[in-house]
Amino acid sequence: MAKRITIDPISRIEGHLRVDVEVENGSVSNSWSSCTMWRGIETILQGRDPREAWLYTQRFCGVCTTVHAMSAVRSVEDALNLEIPLNAQYIRNLILINHGLHDHIVHFYHLSALDFVDILKIPAADPAKTSALAESLTNWPGNSKKAFAAAQDKVKAVAASGQLGIFTNGYWGHPAMKLSPEVNLLAFAHYIQALEYQRKSVQAVAILGSKSPHIQNLTVGGVSNAINLDSLATLNMDRLVMIKQLMEEVKPFVDQVYLPDVCAIAGMYADWFNYGAGVTNYLASPDLPIDSKNTKFDLVGGYIMDGNLSSVHRFDGFRDKVFVEGVTEETKHAWYKGEDPLHPWKGETEPDYTDWQADGKYSWVKAPRFQGRPMQVGPLAQILVGYASGDPLTRKHTDKALDLISTVAGRRIGVAQLQSTMGRHVARAIRASMLAELGAKHWQLLVDNIATGDVAIHNNPEFPSGEIQGVGVHEAPRGLLSHWSVIKGGKIANWQAVVPSTWNASPRDAKGQLGPYEASLLHNPIADPVRPLEAIRTIHSFDPCMACACHTFDPEGTAMATVKVL
Amino acid sequence: MKKIKICGVGSVLLGDDAVGPYTARWIAANYEFGKGVEVEDLGTPGLDLIAYMTGMDVLILIDSADNREPAGTVTVYDKAAITRQRPAVRLDPHSPCITESIFIAELAGDGPEEVYLIGVTGEQLEIGAPLSDSVRKALPCVVEKVLERVVLHGGSYQKREIPEDAQIWWEEAQISVSV
Repeated sequence: MAKRITIDPISRIEGHLRVDVEVENGSVSNSWSSCTMWRGIETILQGRDPREAWLYTQRFCGVCTTVHAMSAVRSVEDALNLEIPLNAQYIRNLILINHGLHDHIVHFYHLSALDFVDILKIPAADPAKTSALAESLTNWPGNSKKAFAAAQDKVKAVAASGQLGIFTNGYWGHPAMKLSPEVNLLAFAHYIQALEYQRKSVQAVAILGSKSPHIQNLTVGGVSNAINLDSLATLNMDRLVMIKQLMEEVKPFVDQVYLPDVCAIAGMYADWFNYGAGVTNYLASPDLPIDSKNTKFDLVGGYIMDGNLSSVHRFDGFRDKVFVEGVTEETKHAWYKGEDPLHPWKGETEPDYTDWQADGKYSWVKAPRFQGRPMQVGPLAQILVGYASGDPLTRKHTDKALDLISTVAGRRIGVAQLQSTMGRHVARAIRASMLAELGAKHWQLLVDNIATGDVAIHNNPEFPSGEIQGVGVHEAPRGLLSHWSVIKGGKIANWQAVVPSTWNASPRDAKGQLGPYEASLLHNPIADPVRPLEAIRTIHSFDPCMACACHTFDPEGTAMATVKVL
Repeated sequence: MKKIKICGVGSVLLGDDAVGPYTARWIAANYEFGKGVEVEDLGTPGLDLIAYMTGMDVLILIDSADNREPAGTVTVYDKAAITRQRPAVRLDPHSPCITESIFIAELAGDGPEEVYLIGVTGEQLEIGAPLSDSVRKALPCVVEKVLERVVLHGGSYQKREIPEDAQIWWEEAQISVSV
């Protein structure tokens, strides 16, 4: 008989993700993904000045601040068909690159590595052996025996104190944990080192955006960073050099630590290339524009259906007709009124709450569809679209990663196998290594352009009296983000944000098609229903973000994670 | 000289959850601090809080609290009280994680020695609503508790003769967009 497990992690907070799975004979046979907060936050924008929208959207989520700001200005610029000066494009791109690097590093080390790394095995590790292993992979200076011994001492101290702190709720000793004590130690030492490098990327964002986490330098039409290489108060050579130095410190961390760690862990857990494919339709947006009209990009966008990597459709630009016409949102299984799929420009957000009903409505997340199909978004979608369309940059970084994984695994892991739980982690690390390379390129583009005497940063928006529609697209760290705006007489008439986690956390649609989280959980092994580590691995691999929620502190919040087995 | 950071946390779009950012901005506009003291509105940083607390000696957080007290109650929690929360097994890794952030920063050896959370019990979390009257009335008390702790740890402050604009832009109908 099937057992129903509800994983409802933080019941005190509205707006979190809840996952229900049915387990039969040690494997998931059915699943539901739901979000527990009304997501109609866009209604706050109605009637406002479109030039201010980005300030509000930047507050939708505290982690994805920049990405909502960027999509919002792009949405209004698209409606106005406004060109963006080259300097502004490059400055924005550098912000997006550094934000992405920070986000990917934190996601792997601090939010999901401990799904695979068993902290309590670390005291048994031999730091000398760990160092020898690490040095066989890369030349990273932080891989000395001394560094590993110091990291091991930290774990020993925590274990000896009897207060596990951050490690209280880990699934230590779980049968699905397979790494040797040495590899556990290696990953943990890098977990600590990663803190320093992710912070450098935050610093680079703060210099460019005047502030972090909420950047201040965007305007509809460009940026507000006055450029004068000799003036103290502007974006000058000193600041540009600081940004370059920060990026030059982060790049080796990505190339010599993050990517090799992910590849090594992936090779050692190669069975996780067999689970979690789920929805194999992929959607990605082009990004990092290198011209003022948004026609040339350094990241490739497009879509792939049914996991068929020999057939890829590329998007020309942010407003590709196929993309714009293909997107709808459905609410048959979401707590909203209305039956028909609606285009985001016509989107409605009228609540219709029922209980959680397995066959009825069960989520506050709508079901976005592209050409009527559920789509997976995120770094995996971007990497597969880039690889399938022959993009040299994507191929170079992906092939390098696959070679290393295959060496560790002792068998060939090909690009098609990235369609899996482990593949999502690998794709994110590949994307980070691409971003680290592109950071240097876009810095040079900016400096070279300024050297030509071009200091333009902004084109002035002018709003017509009639109605205009825009879409602001960004390939964010969690995948394709789109903000859809309708502007009437210079005021916002409608605004809909279709965010990456909406695509991935989508509930079923009218045809009963499962969303990506739901589909990816099917056939996952579950060794112990009370400790469903395997389900958590698959969900974490998407890097879910439902944090468009509130932030109330609950001092009694002891029972934060609940796993209910019915 | 100790490094002291005052951080307002919370969503400015959700009614009383804005109390942290609101108060942080108000304090920065009305007070000048001596060396080593910084004030920031961090919004809802999740685990990114680590990046902002690293290297600090004292962290003073201002946040809305869900502690079943009457709306507008101000409660100060110290580090022991905050870290009594057990970290969660998370599905969504970006939810509030003050406790986790403190633990991880400490593990790296960069964590603040002292952490305070000045919690204000909220009344409503309506999208787009301004602060409720009960929370608004509590603001002088919140400011006092923050300043007390700054002084306790050797920081100094002075009231500005002419307050700056606090830029509580989300409560104003119109804001100016500068270019």
